[in-house]
Amino acid sequence: MNGVTPTLLIVDDEDRILNALRRSLRREGFELVCASTPDEALRIADDRPLAAVLCDHKMPAMSGDALLAAIADRQPSAELILLTGWPEAVPAERLESIGVRTVLPKPWDDGELKQRLREVLIA
Amino acid sequence: MRDGGRPDRERGGRELGEERELGGDCVDLDAVRESRRLRRVQTEAVVETPSAGRGAGPLTVLVAIRGQGEGEARQARERALRALTGFGEGVEVVLLPDLRGCLAQAELRPTDLILVASVVDEECEAFLRSRPGNGTPVVLLLRDASAQSILRAFRAGAADCIDANGPPEELGERIRSWATDPPRAIARAQRSFDRPLRDHAENILAHMNSALLVVDTEGRITFANPAAESILAARPGALRGRPLESWLVTSSGRPNLVERTLGEAKSFKGAETLARDANGATVPIGLSCSPLRDSEGRPKGAVAIFQDLSEIKHLQSQVVQSEKMASIGQLAAGVAHEINNPMGFIHANLSQLSEYVSDLQRVFEKVDGLRKSSAASSDEAVLASLEEFDVLAREIDLEFVLGDIGKALLESQEGSERIRHIVQDLRDFARTDGDGPSEADINQCIDSTANIAWTMMKHCVELEKDYGDLPPLRCFPMQLQQVFMNLLVNAYQAIQERYGDSGERGRIVVRTRPEGDGVCVQVRDTGAGIPKENLGRIFEPFFTTKPVGAGTGLGLANSYGIVRRHGGTMTAESEEGEGSCFELWLPLDPADAILEGSEPPVYGRAGLPEGSSEA
Repeated sequence: MNGVTPTLLIVDDEDRILNALRRSLRREGFELVCASTPDEALRIADDRPLAAVLCDHKMPAMSGDALLAAIADRQPSAELILLTGWPEAVPAERLESIGVRTVLPKPWDDGELKQRLREVLIA
Repeated sequence: MRDGGRPDRERGGRELGEERELGGDCVDLDAVRESRRLRRVQTEAVVETPSAGRGAGPLTVLVAIRGQGEGEARQARERALRALTGFGEGVEVVLLPDLRGCLAQAELRPTDLILVASVVDEECEAFLRSRPGNGTPVVLLLRDASAQSILRAFRAGAADCIDANGPPEELGERIRSWATDPPRAIARAQRSFDRPLRDHAENILAHMNSALLVVDTEGRITFANPAAESILAARPGALRGRPLESWLVTSSGRPNLVERTLGEAKSFKGAETLARDANGATVPIGLSCSPLRDSEGRPKGAVAIFQDLSEIKHLQSQVVQSEKMASIGQLAAGVAHEINNPMGFIHANLSQLSEYVSDLQRVFEKVDGLRKSSAASSDEAVLASLEEFDVLAREIDLEFVLGDIGKALLESQEGSERIRHIVQDLRDFARTDGDGPSEADINQCIDSTANIAWTMMKHCVELEKDYGDLPPLRCFPMQLQQVFMNLLVNAYQAIQERYGDSGERGRIVVRTRPEGDGVCVQVRDTGAGIPKENLGRIFEPFFTTKPVGAGTGLGLANSYGIVRRHGGTMTAESEEGEGSCFELWLPLDPADAILEGSEPPVYGRAGLPEGSSEA
């Protein structure tokens, strides 16, 4: 890209998940920003350009698909990835309409996650 | 006169289930009996009145010929007149063209007999019911002397019905006897009424859906209708004389419903109980029982009416099964989800730790290098540090730790990987079918079921999986999982039966292959096997060789039903003492109508007759 490190926003209401993801992805070439509430996430999305968003689905305040839709409104070029312990919870049509192209299960495979993010970086 | 003609449907459940209409009319037997009794009284009254025959003057006979064409009307008139000749005394015949006129005439003058040639329709019934001449016997000449017409006419109040096409002398005799010898005429009328009534009643009994048994005061069967013979698998006539215990399953100590009816002279409705058929098999029935009395009101026995409830019970059990599966599904889904989150970071952290350890090991290699190169130093401080380092290394057994840390991490990762798979299998198994069929990978379907089942049976079973390359199949995955679970559990139980606590392990092989337009799944076990005489019945609902309470005998029946509803087939082979093999075939793409259940399946594998269930 043009020399600026792309930002990856990670959203999950469970801190330990955020920590684990931070550990896994600390050397993948992103600047990592974490949010544990949808409000926080939206503030960040309003503030800076995002290359990708990695988001949990089941959160108390707002569900993952709703949050990703809201972020997509603000940042249409951001890559949207849903991370969830319940992949069947969101029907395919909804994902398509929001623009989510990748759904990863919990527990996730680090290799698969890194691969997907690498593809985003290249794009 | 009773307002007959309309069957009283509110009458306490004489028949369970649907009332059968035969020929358009339901005969209310009570009403018929009632009308006969009244007619007898009424006719006897006629004998009393002075106008009735025998030397009291000429007889007045009204003849109404109704509703026929010119030629036929004339024929009928002639027939009637011919019949009326030969009376001892004079007879005054009044001819009338219709029933209204006849009614009016009967009001005007004392009438001894009314002859009506008519069809038995509503106008005719109304005429009869209105008791023309206040009780004058009305004799109908019927061109259509069918059982229905005759019964209708008698029910409405006719004194007699005569076939107009019978020999004229007989006609004459019968008509005359109403004027000259009413008791004889009544007796004759009774006979001509009895036969069609009996035929009609027999017709009902022969065709009704419900089984009907009549037992005497001892409880022995005196009559069984064809439906009863069918449900109890008896040859025609074979049930007569049989005692209660031969067909009704009684729980020890308590009298059964029929016994109670006989003993207490009370009616009982809609009890679920068990009957036993001629083959010894139990049949669930819904039974109603009422006491029978003769015409003097003395107890004569009882009437038992019942239906075979097998099909209903089968459907009920399927619903219960589905509901059970649904709640297990929900539970499993919830648990799986709760486990997934902590699994997420445990799994990821272990992975990271592995990387960290790897990095640290590289650092230690450098440290070791530093240590070696420092050993040659003459600096006091450096040598002291080296000494401390060596002491610590020995204390914690550094070499061992460095060697083992990798292994500990690896084993933990493997553990977390296994949990991941189990949770995935549980989730697959718990997946609800939603509203419609979906495309499924049968291998995946079986695998998740097998993995869950294996946790239960691993102590005595070796499970071998032999999965072929299968295309996706349109089905209700949850239902098929029920089937696979059922087969695996049965196989496991058969192995337990054979090997018991001996410690020897049995073997189950699950094999899938594409076959024709579909998929073939085989579950083979080295269990106790199924005796030849039972093999043909294993898919029957309620058939079980397990002791009472240990199983409903519905598992295989349910599975068979599910496979059929997918347009597939299921068969079984077995060798006692060796093992069994259950094989099912499912089409890849069954038609919608079959999956919805609105059409019976037509698919079959080549060479297998439709509906075959034995090897």
